Amino acid sequence: MVRKYLQHVADGVAAAILAAMFLTFVIQVFSRYVMSNPMGWTLELCLTLWLWLVFWGNAFVVRDRDHVTFDIVYLMSPRKLRQVLATVSALAIATGLAVSILPTWDYIDFMKIKKSATLHIPMRTVFSIYALFLGAIVLRNLWRVVQIWRDGKTFDADRISETSEP
Amino acid sequence: MSIALALCLIAMFSLAAIGTPIAYSIIVSAVIYLAVGGQDIALAGEQMLQGLYESFVLLAVPLFIVAAGIMNAGTISDRLLSFCVAAVGRFRGGLGHVNVVASLIFSGMSGSAVADAAGIGKIIIEMMTKDGRYPRGYAAAITAASATIGPVIPPSIPMVLYALVSNTSIGYLFLGGILPGLLMGAVLMLMNGYLARVRNFALEAPVPLRALPKITANAFPALLMPAILLYGIYGGVTTPTEAAAVAAAYALLLSTLFYRAMSISALYRILVESARSSAAVGVVIGAALILNYIVASENIPNMVAQSLVGLDISPLMFLLAVNLLLLLLGCVLDATTIILVILPLFIPTCRELGIDLVHFGVVAVINSMIGLITPPYGILLFVINAVTRIPLGEIIREIWGFLAVLLVALLLLILFPSIVLFLPRLFGYLG
Repeated sequence: MVRKYLQHVADGVAAAILAAMFLTFVIQVFSRYVMSNPMGWTLELCLTLWLWLVFWGNAFVVRDRDHVTFDIVYLMSPRKLRQVLATVSALAIATGLAVSILPTWDYIDFMKIKKSATLHIPMRTVFSIYALFLGAIVLRNLWRVVQIWRDGKTFDADRISETSEP
Repeated sequence: MSIALALCLIAMFSLAAIGTPIAYSIIVSAVIYLAVGGQDIALAGEQMLQGLYESFVLLAVPLFIVAAGIMNAGTISDRLLSFCVAAVGRFRGGLGHVNVVASLIFSGMSGSAVADAAGIGKIIIEMMTKDGRYPRGYAAAITAASATIGPVIPPSIPMVLYALVSNTSIGYLFLGGILPGLLMGAVLMLMNGYLARVRNFALEAPVPLRALPKITANAFPALLMPAILLYGIYGGVTTPTEAAAVAAAYALLLSTLFYRAMSISALYRILVESARSSAAVGVVIGAALILNYIVASENIPNMVAQSLVGLDISPLMFLLAVNLLLLLLGCVLDATTIILVILPLFIPTCRELGIDLVHFGVVAVINSMIGLITPPYGILLFVINAVTRIPLGEIIREIWGFLAVLLVALLLLILFPSIVLFLPRLFGYLG
């Protein structure tokens, strides 16, 4: 119940970011073409929103099956083997990204000295979404391992059913 | 090759092979590369953040995705389809022709083949298979084949990605895609006409000419879309990225105010879906930026260029070889991955050999679109299978004829660069 509610909130935020990007762009075209007085901040806002859309989206909205994946081998494997493969994947992602969290945060934190060009937001704020992304993906993949072994029969039902014949 | 790079590649291929998302396979192996090479691990994140934040052209990607979503949901696709049925449905193999023409027009609005196949494709497959007029495998196959035209005729997300990695002008790339897209449509229609005659598919009752003006009027605002987009870009009014926003805005206006076919909740669902697919594409782009950084700092593209130029290979041989390679890769890899990861390896060689980068880009994009329908791994086949439940085996059995003519078209484009470059040159391209 709580998870479903949180998912709605996450989806809503992603939709709002995209809608804001779209509106900002319309304002930009309007200000340049109709008012012949382009506003510098629209472009910067769009780029910031785009960054947030990518990393917020991947942290909380994109499902495993939405990713670009080379899954011929995976889909051909029997279920037990799929459990092992999926576990290796999830652990590799969790470890790889977890290792990078501290050094990456050093970099992001260092960027507080730099401000964005027109809106003068500290770049640390703009880039902080990446730290959130790293943390969320690590936790998601650790949780994934639990799921794989707890729901052994159904853990990848959504991926299997997509390409199978009716 | 350094040990760090070797480990990085081994990790990347093994992770990707067992079904790890491509983007995460790359990020994890980049971390391995940086750690083994004693570099700052933060470089991976830094490359992604800086790359995504500085690439203005990429903003077109989410906007084209939204525009396509709105058009599919807001009955714009349906109206275009009835226009096409009225226009070309009367000929033998009529609905097959309708399928191709609809893709040609629709591709002037959406930037993505998958959107094309899932939206307009689903509707037309239902029309074609009703009363068993066409075998369902045939209907699905021609839909998949004609959807490949989508990203060739502008606007095009794959071309935006190519422009990003090659530093070529999106405007000229878009122009370069128009004639090749029409050529692809023409060969598909020839094949369809031939098969319809040989296999004696049923004829449609022609739509009476009296009804034509009403149907045209109904579809006219939607038909204006490609014109608005092209005028926006080439009339110097908007950048290609802004044109994407204009497309989405126009689609939204049409479906809410003019056609009154879109509710707030439907719009919300489109936004969530589009955000989801934009983010999934975005993380692949970001990961490819890291990989390109690694590949460039190991100086690989120049090494490829030097060894190929040292072989004294002719530009034509090079193009044919690269295209063969891309076709083979297209059987197992996704188009986004090919364009972002594989193509940059060959761009310095193209420069050395004097191959025009707009020509190369258009040909390579078409090639990777054909890769979307090559068995065993073709996204378009999977999408159609998923939305229509027509078995993959039946689709694949019928795809070969269409695949063959598309390959002939590709060969023509490789041999005669002026088919691609005619329009860009007309608009001042100096290549």
